Amino acid sequence: MNIRILGGCLRVFSWGAVLVLTGSVLVLLGYLLVKGVPSLGRDLIFGQVNVLDALLLKKRVFDGLFPAIAGTLSVVLLSVGLAIPVGVCAGIYMSEFATVLQQRVFGLMFDILAGIPSIVIGLFGFSGAIFIHRYISNDFRPCLAVSVAALAFLVLPYITRTTQASMQGLSIQTRQAALALGATRVQNIFYVLLPQSFSGILSGIILAIGRCAEDTAVIMLTGVVATAGIPGSLLGSYEALPFYIYYISSQYTDAEELMSGYGAAIILLGVCAVLFILAFLIKRRLAGPAGPAPGRFHG
Amino acid sequence: MVLKRSIVMLVLMAVSPFFLVSAQAGAIDSFSGLSGEIRISGGTAHIPVMKEAAKQIMSANPGISISIAGGGSGVGIKQVGEGIVDIGNSGRAPSDAEKEQYGLKLFKWAIDGVGVAVHPDNPVTSLTKAQLKDIYSGKITNWKDLGGKEASITVYTRDESSGTREVFWKKALDKGDIVSSANFVVSNGAMKTAIANDPNAIGYVSVGHMDASVAGVALDGVSPTIDTVKSGEYKVARGLYSNTKGDPSGLTKLFIEYLLSPEGQQIAVQKGFVPVN
Amino acid sequence: MTRVFQKTARIVFFLSAAASAMAAALVFGFLLVFGFPLIGGGEFFSLLTRPWSPGQGLYGFLPMITGTAAISFLSIVFALPLSLGTVCFMGGLGPARISRLVDGFVRFMTGIPTVIYGFLGIFLLVPVVRTLFTSAGSGMCILSASLMLSLLVSPTMIIFFKDGFDSVDVRYIQAADALGADSVQRLIYVILPEAWPGIVTGIIMGLGRAMGDTLIALMIAGNAVHVPGSILDSARTLTSHIALVSASDYDSLAFKSIFACGLTLYVLNAFAVIAVRRLGGKRGPV
Repeated sequence: MNIRILGGCLRVFSWGAVLVLTGSVLVLLGYLLVKGVPSLGRDLIFGQVNVLDALLLKKRVFDGLFPAIAGTLSVVLLSVGLAIPVGVCAGIYMSEFATVLQQRVFGLMFDILAGIPSIVIGLFGFSGAIFIHRYISNDFRPCLAVSVAALAFLVLPYITRTTQASMQGLSIQTRQAALALGATRVQNIFYVLLPQSFSGILSGIILAIGRCAEDTAVIMLTGVVATAGIPGSLLGSYEALPFYIYYISSQYTDAEELMSGYGAAIILLGVCAVLFILAFLIKRRLAGPAGPAPGRFHG
Repeated sequence: MVLKRSIVMLVLMAVSPFFLVSAQAGAIDSFSGLSGEIRISGGTAHIPVMKEAAKQIMSANPGISISIAGGGSGVGIKQVGEGIVDIGNSGRAPSDAEKEQYGLKLFKWAIDGVGVAVHPDNPVTSLTKAQLKDIYSGKITNWKDLGGKEASITVYTRDESSGTREVFWKKALDKGDIVSSANFVVSNGAMKTAIANDPNAIGYVSVGHMDASVAGVALDGVSPTIDTVKSGEYKVARGLYSNTKGDPSGLTKLFIEYLLSPEGQQIAVQKGFVPVN
Repeated sequence: MTRVFQKTARIVFFLSAAASAMAAALVFGFLLVFGFPLIGGGEFFSLLTRPWSPGQGLYGFLPMITGTAAISFLSIVFALPLSLGTVCFMGGLGPARISRLVDGFVRFMTGIPTVIYGFLGIFLLVPVVRTLFTSAGSGMCILSASLMLSLLVSPTMIIFFKDGFDSVDVRYIQAADALGADSVQRLIYVILPEAWPGIVTGIIMGLGRAMGDTLIALMIAGNAVHVPGSILDSARTLTSHIALVSASDYDSLAFKSIFACGLTLYVLNAFAVIAVRRLGGKRGPV
């Protein structure tokens, strides 16, 4: 075929693809905003309760998203908090100490872990809870702690991989300067390599936060419920925004409840967008004006 | 003193839950000063009543938290039996095997019907039992065969753990087949929403959940309404149960007492069910 | 003192890495142990091919396998041209400034929660499908779910495709430029033939993402338990099956069958990961 015609077709095709893809996402998000923005407001989150009373936990919020927001916040902070130390340490090991064989084997395991569908991670958390309930403590049930642990499994490979990649990405000069001055390997890691790769690790952590905040499949098997109030203990049930959206979508009882579903979706989307932009800005500052080099994962 | 009272209470409960009401006027006050958690799961027809009761109790008593999950009657019975939750709700009476296996205590606090429902715009407003069976077994697939418009019927059903399904299957379908292409929804609330959004839908839903967004279909000439359920004229009816493992104690006991108290029964009426007292 | 610290730190690093790696094995172990009553005795493969009918004691998950296959395959059919077109656009066919915008937008799309796609699917897409195709019944069908899923998997595919494009040896491109090739010729004769490992990787990753997603299919595919006969049929995926049945009575065989579903998903994922690593593509958090 004539290359000119082929080229023209390809050009049209590529424009078409971009327009269809971005267009449909923009239509979806636009629809969400148009339908949902009127519902945004103090009442959406706090219902009829005074804001201060709700925040100080003096009064309970029944008709607002406050308990779901508080639940999502706790589950995200706890699970990322749990995954960061383990994930960063594992990343350090992979980058600085692992032998080629270890890099291969561990790397394969991380990749498998990263690819496990989140519902399967949820099923794992759920069966773990049932196991503990049956054989260790009869008082143990699916709860906030189970969700936290399962979500930590979910984001662990993200944090390990970004830590490993940002440390491996450091230049040989950066790596060797302190060593030449007599620093030990561990000193070099804590005083040079970690601080130097901090923004890379941070952007990975922020993406992990986003992943935890949006995940629905893990929590729906491990302790989230439709009504629970503010999470009071690690061993209790809790509410969460993504689950609320799922729940409302199938069982809203009136128009007002449906509107709160739209409101919750906008809030969740907003949270994810802010996290995304934050991670993006940090990464760009790290990469400098030349643009980010595609990070390659070894092993 | 307190111990004595609770012993008396336990004895009373063993005799019959109906005594509790007379013994416990102003049931909400009995929660005052207490704290702890009550976990409830299971039957989805119960959820509006559970939510309202929880709201009343939790507003008055900041130390108490009550969590409510769905799942269906089968889940409620299993979870309470395993000790995963404190109260397992069911829209059917637990079977003898279930009662025996887990030592369940049953508390029936309302009567509810299971009504066939369609979209409000659907001209079909009444069906015979035979027609209903044919729809659910996949023999009738178009609304025009029932005097409606030319459109294929979307059949909605619930999963095996649903008490609503079980009652409907036994009493309305006489244990007939349910076509495998039927869409599944997870709760009474979801069933109502699905029917309200689908002009060609047919499904079954707790009579207490029915409102203007769906149209109840008369079965053999009897409409599913709270009155026909109450009078016993509408046959596809069942009790709403809250079950506990062994005799309830502590907050769980108080919660059940609250459901059976005049205040609790009032909530059941508000949410469209027939009270037992 | 420092030596002790050195040693301890190194041990802690190693233990973390080993524990994280073990996590993948632990998940597998749990699925295996809990699913054993159903899987033991070599029954696993006969389950794959049997229908689901708990009333008759049949717990095969053929309907879920076919549901997952149909929905994820169709979503790739929709997403592949979109992704290829978009990546060609970014690879030189579109204006540079717009390309950068598109690139940012695609990366943003990776962050859109799947539950929001499901939510909008119910209220925007499903009614449209129901109106357009009268035989689609409720509108909750394979078509609706795979359309929504294609938006979810496109960014994954685009990012891997782009990686493949970027990894083409720059000397080839310079050689083509020196011979006077324009952007279209460069794309057709140099980049596309060289970038195929990235494209295959992208398709595998996209397929994995589609199979692993729960909420979209759960919310808008209708969840009927039968082998679907058309793309307008309601269907249930392995993932939604786990979500729907996990709440049920956990002594039953029905409950145990969800571990078989989980194992199937786990194994498919592991195969995908190994395939991608064989291709030498990068595999990391996207």
